[in-house]
Amino acid sequence: MKNILTLSKREITRLKARFSGKSRGIVLAVAALAIVCSYVIYHQDLAISKGIYTIGVTSNSPVIEDSRFITREMDTDAGYRQLDTGEIDLFLDGDLIFSSRSERSQYATAALMKYLEKQDLLRIASEYDIDRAFPLRIEIDYVETEADISVASAATDEMPEFPDTTVFDDNDETGPAALSETAALSSGSGDEAVQQQLEEFSVNRQLPEFKAEFLSENDIIIPSLMNPPIPLAQVIITFLYVVPVFFISLFFTSSFTEEKVSRKLVVLLSAPVTRLQVIIGKMLPYLVYSILVIIVVTLVLGGNVLLGLAIFVPVMLFIFSIYLLVALTYRTFKDQTFFSVMALSVVTVYLVGPAMFTGVNDLSYISPLTLAVEMYRGESFGASQYFLATTPLLLVFGQTMFVGTRVFNEEYLMGFRPLHTKIAEAIYLAMDRRHLNISILLTGMWMVPLVFMVELACVVFVTNLPLPFMMGFVLLASVVVEEVAKSLGVVILLQNRVLETWKSVLGLAALAALGFMLAEKLLLLIAMSVASESMFLQALSGGELFLLPLVLHAVSTAVVCLLTWRCGTRYYPLAIAVGSLIHAAYNLYIMGMLT
Amino acid sequence: MSGFMALLKRELRSITKEKTIMFAIIVQFFIASFSSIIMVGIMAFYDPSSIGENSNVHIRSGVIIDTESGVTKAEYNALISNLFNGGVMVEKFGSMEYACGLLERGRLDTVIGMTKGADGVVNMKLVMPELDTKKTVVYMVLDQPLKEFETWLRDRAGVEIRYADNSGAPHTTYEFLYSLIVPILMLFPALIAGSIVIDTVSEEFENKTFDTLTAAPVSIAQVTMSKVTAAVITAAVQLGLWVGLLRLNDIVVNNAVLVITLGVIIATIIAVSTAIMALYFKDRERTQFFYSIVLVALIGGSYFLDPSPFGLITRLAAGDPNIGVLQVSLYAIPLIAICLPFLRLSRRLVLSPR
Repeated sequence: MKNILTLSKREITRLKARFSGKSRGIVLAVAALAIVCSYVIYHQDLAISKGIYTIGVTSNSPVIEDSRFITREMDTDAGYRQLDTGEIDLFLDGDLIFSSRSERSQYATAALMKYLEKQDLLRIASEYDIDRAFPLRIEIDYVETEADISVASAATDEMPEFPDTTVFDDNDETGPAALSETAALSSGSGDEAVQQQLEEFSVNRQLPEFKAEFLSENDIIIPSLMNPPIPLAQVIITFLYVVPVFFISLFFTSSFTEEKVSRKLVVLLSAPVTRLQVIIGKMLPYLVYSILVIIVVTLVLGGNVLLGLAIFVPVMLFIFSIYLLVALTYRTFKDQTFFSVMALSVVTVYLVGPAMFTGVNDLSYISPLTLAVEMYRGESFGASQYFLATTPLLLVFGQTMFVGTRVFNEEYLMGFRPLHTKIAEAIYLAMDRRHLNISILLTGMWMVPLVFMVELACVVFVTNLPLPFMMGFVLLASVVVEEVAKSLGVVILLQNRVLETWKSVLGLAALAALGFMLAEKLLLLIAMSVASESMFLQALSGGELFLLPLVLHAVSTAVVCLLTWRCGTRYYPLAIAVGSLIHAAYNLYIMGMLT
Repeated sequence: MSGFMALLKRELRSITKEKTIMFAIIVQFFIASFSSIIMVGIMAFYDPSSIGENSNVHIRSGVIIDTESGVTKAEYNALISNLFNGGVMVEKFGSMEYACGLLERGRLDTVIGMTKGADGVVNMKLVMPELDTKKTVVYMVLDQPLKEFETWLRDRAGVEIRYADNSGAPHTTYEFLYSLIVPILMLFPALIAGSIVIDTVSEEFENKTFDTLTAAPVSIAQVTMSKVTAAVITAAVQLGLWVGLLRLNDIVVNNAVLVITLGVIIATIIAVSTAIMALYFKDRERTQFFYSIVLVALIGGSYFLDPSPFGLITRLAAGDPNIGVLQVSLYAIPLIAICLPFLRLSRRLVLSPR
């Protein structure tokens, strides 16, 4: 502990020396300017699509106060002429809308109609009494259905036949229906709901509140006031927390790389400190700054500090582990910059992507951001949700620290080699050659969170493809990624000529597959406990739960490893292709497309 | 001049060698894809009708009418026909419990109970499956028919409605594309150009090669300008690529030449500014950090400009006829304002103490 603190103190002194004298003043001034700008914009209501449409209006047209529209007053003749030449996108003659055939004009029409409709609704609300203005109130209720995918198709014949009277006919003979529940909706509570929603509706905000639940039980909705939440709030929370942490970890990487290049790290290693102590010591000050940032952001947003820390500390550790890996692996700054930007975008996707479906799909709990959204909405979440969201991040952190200490030697740090060689070397160094079996099993397990993230990234990339290719590409990509992940450990051992006989190759391949499988199922199990009602998961877990996939994983991994053993590591890509084919065929079989 | 060209070639070679461009494009590709996912998300919430109409989802609904409460035949027919037109299959039931039972067993997707309050208000109970994704889909399909039914009820109660028809084309995607995706893609190369300049300039300090260069027969201004030019060329290539790629995806960037020109001008402004920063701070760590906060301030500050770079790209790319060369050329002023002092000061900055 004492060593770590000494190292941290050294790090802080170094950082202070960097920002002394004139440069400190300049940095502080610009930072203050940046904060002021963001603050002013936030309070101005950020307007996107400013001035995208230009419309002509006459003097008796309704006033349009929407930054998307640039209005120009003109007489009728000029209006028609300019609409014809395309100088204006729309012409509003009194309250009649004239559009041209151009696409822009059509978009402008729809946008203006929506705006006018809203203004009209506000007028109606003020002119008429509430029961006439809002004559329809809908109460939402949910029932649990047993309609998962397998039941819906198989069980139709057990269903009772519809009584004849249920077919829609004009002779209304069904008589009074038992509607006691519906009648319980008193008019008072309905009016209250209208008032409240009208209030929210009339505030013209483009930046949404932290409100993402699509429809909750017993909500009363008014169709015309239904203002669906935009998942932009999730993006904003993420950036508020993640961007400062990224800035801070940038300092960490810079300092780490600089000491690496100037060989100061190597000198440190000869001191009586462990490698882990060096890494933690150098990281600690930045971790403390990041924690302070998290506390401040949570306080500013008005959240619970302890909860905020519980949610974002794992995210922070995850970000630091990515930066540690980048710093350990790369020597040039250009590479570092791009990997950092890449990492920032991947992390943002990982956090924001699932969280957009907060309240819509329970699977959104794989992102810790979903927890944050729940927190800011004043809702609660359970321990299993918390663990699902944070465990993968913490695992990656632990993994990185472990690998970091194993590769922390002069030869690895100073070597100039291509990326894939560096990765292979790192995995080789991370494995314990005396306990190969356990090493391979654990390598297989540890690959799962990484595979999970790579697959998520694939899903993002796939959205660029035309629809029919999407599914196929995702299936193919995930098969290849999984095959690489499972066989990598064994192949690296082969490359380093540790394994001799085919028996040992086969045994280790099976172990790698087992490890991978165990971790995968464990993750699925946690996910199931959180999102038991997700259609996606129900489809995933259908069929034979354990034995069949295990056999498949073992067979495909064994094929890849044995082929590589036989033909040499140069043919590894080919071996992966063969293994992937087997895996893909199995997947297709399971999906019932091959019979 | 030949000295400058030799330097420029050297810089460009190092950028292509390190696959920097490749990374840059992958990152932008990723951002673009991710934005389109967000777009689908926003569409789903903001414009549910667009999904409901396009995906051909059919919803089976059970309807129960409480005739004793005074629901009239006309009201009932209006509801049914609106649902029907919205692609909802309707079956009528006598009891709520029976219909909900069918819902539980998956024979129906939703149950609608309609009753009338004493104040003449129609109260509806909408029962949907708890299943997470399903309730969203169900509501998306029901949204439009229910809105139309509400309008019908209003109309009948004698409320004057001025705007209620849905004419025009769905505009959410259009606005989102041109006011977010296209500007982000057109400005991102400029940010990357800044990073490249910082890296290449601070590398010279780190390797102490600037000392050698001060003795060489090229001026410091030429050395740094070659780095800036290399970064700007990189940005221009990306801009051209993006316009082409978007075109392949049926997204037309109108006024492409002007848009690219603006992108290049902004990239040059940023590249020159970062070169000044890198020469002043002389190490990457501080420069990178300073650059980041300057960017935040700049992006914030540019919001108050009219037209802002973001807004200008939006309007140019969307084909606004009322904007053009004049507005773009205004951005040449800050470009000149920053280039002149840079050319004069660069030598002094390099030689100034750390």
